[in-house]
Amino acid sequence: MTDGGSEGTFVLTSEPQHLARLRDWLREELTRHEVDGREQFGLQVAVGEICSNSIKHAYAGLGGKPIHVSVRWGEDRVVIEVRDFGRKFDPELYRPPDLEALPEGGVGLHIAKQFVDEFSFDVTQEQGTRWILVKYLPGAEPKSRTP
Amino acid sequence: MEIQVTETKGVTVVVPTGDLDMEAADQIRRTLTELIDKGQLKLVMDLGSVGYIDSSGLGTLVAAMKQARAAGGNLKLCALQDDVRSIFEMTRLIKVMAVHATRQEAVASWG
Repeated sequence: MTDGGSEGTFVLTSEPQHLARLRDWLREELTRHEVDGREQFGLQVAVGEICSNSIKHAYAGLGGKPIHVSVRWGEDRVVIEVRDFGRKFDPELYRPPDLEALPEGGVGLHIAKQFVDEFSFDVTQEQGTRWILVKYLPGAEPKSRTP
Repeated sequence: MEIQVTETKGVTVVVPTGDLDMEAADQIRRTLTELIDKGQLKLVMDLGSVGYIDSSGLGTLVAAMKQARAAGGNLKLCALQDDVRSIFEMTRLIKVMAVHATRQEAVASWG
């Protein structure tokens, strides 16, 4: 499963119809690294939710805007970064969904977080948000995980 | 996304095929809204041919369920694949939506 240091990047624009191609690319990338089907599904959902979030919020639904997805393989983990160049994510405005209230929206980040081991974002760039998703590979020792 | 709509014993069965994602959500929303507006309130959605669903797809189903319930009906689900079911579980929708193992069970549940 390990392939230390290898990296792949997929660039899409901010139309929802490109999300299926992104999932296909990610599936191939994960299959090549022997990630099993259940984990593949989770990572496809997580990355898809982040990209949908960029389309809806960073770019306010406008098409033609760039989103970069990169996958970096370490010895014990895969790190996936999603980068948009639109309006920055503002954690002050984010409200976790009230799942008991049957929300019709606003659950995308909640879902994405469930499928990864570490979830963070970086808004220190001049434009946009860099989302960082980390998933530890099966057999990775907990002690090797960063706190 | 391909969407088939059939009638069985007075129940409208909607069968989408493909990924129920942000791209497909509008199409599903339109289909369900048209059915509800026409008074077809006994709805079953067979998700057996849906291998992927995201928050946009979920939101569409929740909205349609609320719309159908408000009009005196319901939107029931059936045949969820394991991966898709896991999304319903983590959002707790599995507890509040009527989910059946098979289409026959879902249709029969309308009595």
